[in-house]
Amino acid sequence: MSKLKRRRREIRAAGLLTAPFLFVFTVFFLFPTYKVIALSFTDAPLIGEGQWIGLANYAKLLNDRLFFTSLWNNLYFVLLTVVPTTVIALLIALAVSKLKGRMQALVLTLFFLPYVLPVSVVTLIWAWMLDFQFGILQPLIAAVTGKAVPVFNNPHWVMPMIAVVTIWWTNGFNVLLLIAGLRNIPEDLYEAAALDGATPWQRFWRVTWPLLWPVTALVLTLQLILQLKLFDQVYLLSNGGPFNSSYVVLMQMYREAFQLNNGGYASAIAMVLFLVIVIVSVLQFQLLRIGGRK
Amino acid sequence: MKATGVHLKAVKKSFGVVDVIRGVDMDVDRGQFAVFVGPSGCGKSTLLRMIAGLEETSDGQIFIGDRDVTHEDPADRGVAMVFQSYALYPHLSVYENMAFSLRLAKRPKTEIDDKVRESADILQLTDHLQKKPAQLSGGQRQRVAIGRAIVRAPDVFLFDEPLSNLDAELRVQMRLELARLHQKLGATMIYVTHDQVEAMTLADTIFVLQGGHVQQSGAPLDLYDDPSNRFVAGFIGSPSMNFFDATVDDRTEDGVVIRLSGQPDLTLNVPLSKPPSMGASVVLGMRPEHLIVTKAEGLRVTVDVAEELGGVSYQHGTLEGGDAVIFQQAGVRHGMHGTVQTVTPEPGRIFVFDTEGERIR
Repeated sequence: MSKLKRRRREIRAAGLLTAPFLFVFTVFFLFPTYKVIALSFTDAPLIGEGQWIGLANYAKLLNDRLFFTSLWNNLYFVLLTVVPTTVIALLIALAVSKLKGRMQALVLTLFFLPYVLPVSVVTLIWAWMLDFQFGILQPLIAAVTGKAVPVFNNPHWVMPMIAVVTIWWTNGFNVLLLIAGLRNIPEDLYEAAALDGATPWQRFWRVTWPLLWPVTALVLTLQLILQLKLFDQVYLLSNGGPFNSSYVVLMQMYREAFQLNNGGYASAIAMVLFLVIVIVSVLQFQLLRIGGRK
Repeated sequence: MKATGVHLKAVKKSFGVVDVIRGVDMDVDRGQFAVFVGPSGCGKSTLLRMIAGLEETSDGQIFIGDRDVTHEDPADRGVAMVFQSYALYPHLSVYENMAFSLRLAKRPKTEIDDKVRESADILQLTDHLQKKPAQLSGGQRQRVAIGRAIVRAPDVFLFDEPLSNLDAELRVQMRLELARLHQKLGATMIYVTHDQVEAMTLADTIFVLQGGHVQQSGAPLDLYDDPSNRFVAGFIGSPSMNFFDATVDDRTEDGVVIRLSGQPDLTLNVPLSKPPSMGASVVLGMRPEHLIVTKAEGLRVTVDVAEELGGVSYQHGTLEGGDAVIFQQAGVRHGMHGTVQTVTPEPGRIFVFDTEGERIR
């Protein structure tokens, strides 16, 4: 009897404690997700009901050239950011971890500072710095290429420049993760390796790198997911141009939903992007795990 | 003969303004098992790490064999170290852990294989070579750490409290294995511990460290029988020596008559070659096993705790003046708990120290 009573009390407590989360999760995540999936099979506008049209939106997507351009641009951007940002973050983390005490905290803060800024401020800063007429980085570009370049209006420059801005903006977080990973490697192991005759280079490749690999794999996967969701920087810096050369999937979804009022079609685009992200990131994480085990 | 072994000359170490090692001279001869022992913070681990090259030496010189290695890289010193945490590479198998240094040195594969298997054989690790460190027990990990050292065939083995992460039973077992290993390899070994039992059982020579100085060095029983100061007397031996404040009452032909503070009825004759002056304050040291229960005059001890271990028992109590006393009883069960006993020190087994802690002989 008392056992039953206690059990009932535990269930009540558990229910009470999880209820707020379950409520928020259902209202703001599960329901909208269901709505998007349902919308993607209709010809509904953004607001209001529509007709069930089956897979017609998905079929239309397969013949949409802008969609494939956008998808390609997304993959190009992933290539430009994911591995470079991880490598840069690792180099910075290794350098910062050599510093001690307050100096380390200060330098780490400096590297983390851009991450704190809102994306609108980040893009404004870089739009000024890269401005065609009076941007302070133009002399540098001119020194390399021979003349000033309107980077966000040049199809060859636009994606790499957005990648640079993005790396500058988000790198601090990766540095933080990698520093935490580096701190988890016991100092003893480096001392043992030094006694075993390992050079600093060998210490990195034979001790640091394999032991840091789980964190590196995590950073790579998080970056992949984040960079596939690219929208804000493009929207604010180039608006997809010039000649759609920086158009990405989320921009197309935004345009279909909020500018052309095609709620159903936009939902289908969102669903496809969602599937791409799930498949690619799961695939990558598994590959990285296998790579780490060898 | 300076051709072999480890030799330290006026070695000093300071971290900023804090002096940790304040001038240490020592000679560990080839093939000796030397133990650094002392309370935590005495600098024993720092000294070992200086010999390994993991800490810079602020002043003085370190020789291994006849080479001055004071400022050489750890890898070039010909030393191998076993860490308290074992410091095994968690991502490598037991085999690769042991082969690590040889692979770095780009030795031929067959040589690596021979050496790893040979030391795995010595340490009974042959069945575990393909396992990762996480799959091993504490004792096995310890053996891998030792194996990693053996494979390198170093001139000097350094052990930094290697047994302190093991449980009591395993610790005793590994202690024996280390003693056997030392006999088998015949290499110079330096071992750091805070456990004086480990020090007594393993060492050829013990170096007792305190406050950055070597307090005394010598064979374990020499330190036990003839400590040169109060610190060494109290540190070596378990349970530790009893100390009592006393004054010199009178001088005899070959020594002094000493009266314990708070014990007006009891005087002790102690032979000394350099007796202190009359009325001087001294400290008497008596080991628990040298206090004998007697019917005659002696120290009256109220026993409040009796630790019965079967073979021996340790009786903890207090004198009338309040001083704590431990005395040892062998063999029979006494049931002394709560009783008042009279004990007297064995003649010739009383150590006399001056108020500074130095031994008066």
